Order: sequence, then structure tokens, then C-alpha cells
Amino acid sequence: MKNTHEFDICIVGSGVGSGPVAHELAKAGYRVGVLEKGKWFKEKDFFKDEQLGRHRVFRSQFKDERHTLEEPNGDGTWSSETTAQFWGGNVVGGASNFMSGYFHRLKPQDFRLVSEFGEIEGANTVDWPIDYDELEPYYTKVEQLVGVSGKVVEHPHLEPRSTKDLPFPPTAEHPVAQKFDLACKALKLHPLPMARGILSMPFNGRLSCEYSGYCGSYGCHSGAKASSRAALLDNAVAGGNCEVITQAKVYRLNTDDIGKVSSADYFDKDGKTVRIRAKIFVVACYSIESARLLLSSIGPKHPQGIGNSKGLVGKNLHCCAGGTGHGVFKLDMLEEFEAKQLKIRGPFFNRALQDWYVIDDRSVSDKPIKGGTLDFVFDPPSPTAETSGLKWQGDNLLWGTPLKQKIKAHFTKSKDFKFEVFCDWLTNDECYVSLDSDETDKWGQPVAKVRAGFHPHDEKVAQYLVDRGVEVMKAMGADEAWGNVFTSPTSNLVAGGCRFGNDPETSVLDRNCRVHDCDNLYVTDGSFMPNGGSVTPTLTIYANAFRVADKILEEMSQL
Amino acid sequence: MLEKSMLAKQGSDKSLSPAGAAKREHGSIKAVFVSVYDSGLNRRAFLRQTGAAAVLLGLLGAKPSVGLAQGSADRVESDKGSADFNPHSRSVVEAVQLQLFPDDSDGPSAKQLNAFQYLSWALDDPENAADGDKAFILKGVGWLEEQSNATLGDSFIRLTPTQQDTVMRQVSQTRAGENWLSLLLYYLLESLTLDPVYGGNPDGIGWKWLEHLPGFPRPVEGKTYLDFS
Repeated sequence: MKNTHEFDICIVGSGVGSGPVAHELAKAGYRVGVLEKGKWFKEKDFFKDEQLGRHRVFRSQFKDERHTLEEPNGDGTWSSETTAQFWGGNVVGGASNFMSGYFHRLKPQDFRLVSEFGEIEGANTVDWPIDYDELEPYYTKVEQLVGVSGKVVEHPHLEPRSTKDLPFPPTAEHPVAQKFDLACKALKLHPLPMARGILSMPFNGRLSCEYSGYCGSYGCHSGAKASSRAALLDNAVAGGNCEVITQAKVYRLNTDDIGKVSSADYFDKDGKTVRIRAKIFVVACYSIESARLLLSSIGPKHPQGIGNSKGLVGKNLHCCAGGTGHGVFKLDMLEEFEAKQLKIRGPFFNRALQDWYVIDDRSVSDKPIKGGTLDFVFDPPSPTAETSGLKWQGDNLLWGTPLKQKIKAHFTKSKDFKFEVFCDWLTNDECYVSLDSDETDKWGQPVAKVRAGFHPHDEKVAQYLVDRGVEVMKAMGADEAWGNVFTSPTSNLVAGGCRFGNDPETSVLDRNCRVHDCDNLYVTDGSFMPNGGSVTPTLTIYANAFRVADKILEEMSQL
Repeated sequence: MLEKSMLAKQGSDKSLSPAGAAKREHGSIKAVFVSVYDSGLNRRAFLRQTGAAAVLLGLLGAKPSVGLAQGSADRVESDKGSADFNPHSRSVVEAVQLQLFPDDSDGPSAKQLNAFQYLSWALDDPENAADGDKAFILKGVGWLEEQSNATLGDSFIRLTPTQQDTVMRQVSQTRAGENWLSLLLYYLLESLTLDPVYGGNPDGIGWKWLEHLPGFPRPVEGKTYLDFS
């Protein structure tokens, strides 16, 4: 091995779990090396071009890397397919480049589900080793430093806050939000302006949102979206202490005789092996891949992989349970000005409901159970994908004038509004990551196998929430409204796999996200989470990574 | 299930399994348009899956897995060195495209969309070429001509529009024939809504008809999806 690089701290991955650590350590003067498998794209590269997504330009290609996904068939057997669906963003900043940025906090009860709601048979739920109060200052820090816009309003499930409001005012709102607020008030609900990881005004060298209406899965052209790259890594690198090495596919962490990580090996863009040395290592490359890297890193003190002496690495993986629903408004049934308003593109819907974060309803359960969040959103426009789906009429292919009229009506005669339901994906013995002994990636490394079993309780909760969303859509005057519950794993928002806890017998990481039996290795992506909260976990992963960064700083100062 | 609920990103290829199939993505539990690429299924796996009726929601809008349905024996693996359009096959495809998207005085026709030029450009895209789409489309021209000659005694391009529609309906009765038309529609509809930089939808003629607002910045020459790898 010819090339040797040396850093104080080496971070594998550059997404939301990585950015805070790189930013804080570099700011404190330590030499930080970030190893990212993908390339470095910037604002100027993010055209609003549907082809970029259709051709997976910013994601790993199936032919290069895959996962094996096993799902229950419902009859006791399991399906097994290879898939590329879990690659969220093979670029600097990772999947956060392509998120919508719904930045809800978790609530105090999410940190102690067992204490609050009791155990559920078949689920591996545990209380967290930290409480909400310990994370609260870091939520505040993310809101200020990474940039969160919105407005805090009083509601029955509002979490405690050390600041009265969010530091950035809400992004521009679509007229449908008013319609939503009126309907919710009539239903005695509490419509919430959504906290977004999107800037409503310029900040720290980033521009405000440009409201092109092409958010979500499209990369952000203005830098308003709070990706780990735009919000943190750009700054860290500009400061001079942080180096991001791109096209560096880390495949192994090497450990020494006392079990500490001595170096990380990666394949560079030409497939050559490079070794990086550092005092402290951080793994943050998305829960599935972080578990895979630990499992692949066999050493004298870690014969089953790092942190895996109890066989727990990869276990207790979770996705976001829930579903989606739609409300379709027929525009020709509305007053002209109202139809025009609904067709506006650019501003955000930006509404959420958390009235059922705890469900206290005898029709579902004798005692209160954990519920979830309904986010009311727009899908990023993808006209080609939408159009292509319209060519089927039942079982038959449609063409000619009937097809043209169907397409025209879809685009011009109605407007589809959407909601998304988030609830806990209960951890269970059938949802975990392991190494696939048959399938390898283009570097010849065993791929991760994801077994994605779900707990039936999740379906019940999700259905309850989807039904509430449909009621809201109807109250808004939707001509058609419906919703579906999903039990398939989400391709994004997967977390867990290296659960944190105080007991090395039952957890992979300690309360500071350091691997129990590997003193200089931390895992700072979503892997630590015993449960994901009934929201997108992104904000919490950011906050926790800042918390861990402070712990690493303490440790560094003593080295 | 309502027709609307099968829209766009969450339909399945023909049959629908409502629960447990839609994939979610990015910040939003968005039922992703799980195209063959997006889901990462290779074509064989995709066919296994659709065959097993464990259908992913989202495949409705995906590119059809064409010739493999007939068994791989008569399926070329890639377009390397395969034949290209000649004036005759081009005329046939253009005539089919005009049936698929006619000039009916409401919205652009296939011809106005530059659908054929777009198709011939798209078929040379590396992924599409690897899928063997061009060979399959050329093979389909042969089937269509055979059918046309057998039932109406003449080449497809010399039939009246009504006769052409009849032959296309006959062809669509077989799985392969339907896949062929579906594949042509897949590319044709791309030429309706993709950015004009890709050769279809000239001056945004398709967008204007559909009252669709493109985002900004729009892709430019030298910065299309092919320029990022």
C-alpha cells in the first residue's frame, strides 16, 4: 500500500450523521478526513431534470452494488430479491441532498416507549439511555446552525423547547394551506406549520429557497436545502481542517491487538487499495451499510466483526411505518380563482397534524398507544413518470385520442394533494441486516442482506392514521380521497442496526454512540436509534451527531 | 381501487397488489416511480416478480420488460452491432407513433413532438441499448408487417388509419405485441414531457398543452444526464 493518509479523525460517509462531526471537529482545529464513496456535486449541478432521477445519476447503479431484500410473503415464506432501492444518494452529502426536509423533533415519550406505553409482544422496544432533555440543546443547535424554518405553535403534543420559535420564518406557503387550516379547525384539530430543513432567507453563504416547485428528490440549486454538504461540509472544508476524499469506497476497518481501529481501507476510483490512519474513527454511511462495514471488519479481537461479540450488529433495524393518502380536487368544480390558486406551483404545503401522536381510542386499544404524524405535502413533479403510468386502462393498453384526453385531464382538470403517515416500525427479530454469502458488489465484497419483517401492530396504527388523513381530505372538499397502508420497507429513512444502550449485553453502542468493545470507534448515523420516532428521523440524526461530536471533542482533548 | 390511486408513481404493471408494495423515498413517504432502474431489479428478476404476482406498485409507468416475456431464446441481449432503422422500418414506426398519438387537433401529435427523432436518440442511450430495445422494436416492425399483410394484404404504411388501428389491436392481443406497443408508448410519452434538450417536446409544446410548469434551472446542452458519469 503506497498511499498513506493520516488524520486525527476519519469519518466514513458524508451524510447527516457525518457532517456535524466533521464540522465540529474541524472547527476545533482537528484534522478531519471524510471518506465518501460517491462524487462531489454542487448547487450548479442540480438541474431540475427528471432524467437525472430516472437514470439514477446520483445513486449507485444496480449493476455495481445491490442489496438482497427479503420480505414476508404473508404465508410464512419469504421473498428474496436483489435491489438498488436503498441507495439514497451516492454523492457528498448523501441522501440529504435529495430529502424533502421535514424536520420534526422527536417527543419525550419517544425516548421511553416501554415506560410510557408498556411492552408489545413480539417487539424489541426499549427505553433509550438518554432522555429528551439531553438532546434538546442539540435540536436547537441544528435549527440554528443547519437552518430550520417554520413556526412553533401550541398544540397538545408540542415537545418542550428551550427557544420559543424556530430561527427562520416559514417558507412561502401554498394557498391550499389555508383551506387545510379551515378544515382542521372545523374538525377541532391542530394544524401545524411544518418545520423544514429549507432556508427561507439567505444564511451562511447559502441562498434562500427559489421555489421552483422541484424539491424533494431533486437536488437543491440554491443551497437552501439543509443537506450535510451545503449546511456543514462546505464550511468545514473551507475552514482548512477538513478534507473530503471522494470515490473512496471503504470496505474494511482494521483493528489492532487490543481491539482498537488502527486504519480504514478503501478502494479508490481505479479500484486501488488505499489505507487511512487516524486516532478516532466514525462510521456514518447509512444504517444498512454501517452494519455491513462493521460485520465485514474482522480482527483478532473482533472475530465476528467489530462490535458484534454479542451478535447484535445489524439487529433491530427499522424503517418508517405508515402509509400515504390522496385528495383529488376537480378543478372544473371550483370557482375559477380557486382553481387557479390550487394550480400554483412553487410554494410548499407545509402542514402537519400530530393530534394522534398518542392514540387514546377504545376502538383501537384498551389503553393509549403510540400513534404518529401526518404530513401534508407535494410530491416533486415528475411529469414523465406520471404520464407513462396513464397508458393502461385496466388491463388494456390505451392509445390514440382517448390516451391524449386522459393525459390532458390528468394534468389540467384535477389537482392531487397528498399526505404521508409516519409511525413507529416496531423492531423485531425478523428485521435485521446480515452479510450475504452469495452476492458480491463490483469490488468483490459481500453485499448486505436486509430482512424486513414488520410487526402487525404497525399496520393497525398506520390504518388508524391513514383513515384520519382521509377524513381531513374530505373535510377540505376533495372530490376523491383515499389512502393506503404500507408494510414494505421504506427505501429511505431506515435506521437502527447498531442500537445504543447502557448494557453491552443488549446494545452495540454506548450512550455516546461509541462501540462498546472498540474504544476509538463511533457510529453517528441513524444506526443508534432504538426506534425512529413517528416522524422522519433526519433532524434527530443531525442532533445526535452534534451531541456525539461534543463527546468526541472531550475525548480528543484527553488524547 | 380508484383509477386515480394508480396514478403515476404507484401503479403496477397491469395487476395491482395494493398493500405492501409501494416504496417510499426521501423525506417523503413517496411511492417512488419504481422503474426497472429505480428498483434495481434486473429484467429477469422483474419478470419473475411480475410473474409471481408479487408486483411492485410503481411498475405501471416503468419501461415494459419486452421480449423476455417470450423467453430469452429469441431475445438479443444488447444492441451491439444490431441492425438500424432503414427507410421502411422508420416509416412503419412513424406511422404507428402517429396512431398512438394522432394529430387530432387537441395537443401535439407524435410528429410534432419529434417522437421518432427522440426514439432513435433514446435507443442509443447506453442503458436502453443494453436492454436491447432497438432490436426488439425492429423485430416488432416485422411482426406488424406480417400481421398487416396476412389480414389486409398490404404493408402497414399503406393502410388507412382505421385499418392501421385494427392491425395494432390485433397485435396487442399477444403479450409480446402488447409489450412492443407499450415500449413505443414509453418512449413516445418521454418525448411529450421530458426537457426539450433531449430532442422531443420541441419548445415545450407538450408542457404547454398540459399546462405543466418546468422547474429551473433547466438542463442545458453539455449538462444532460449523460454528462454526469
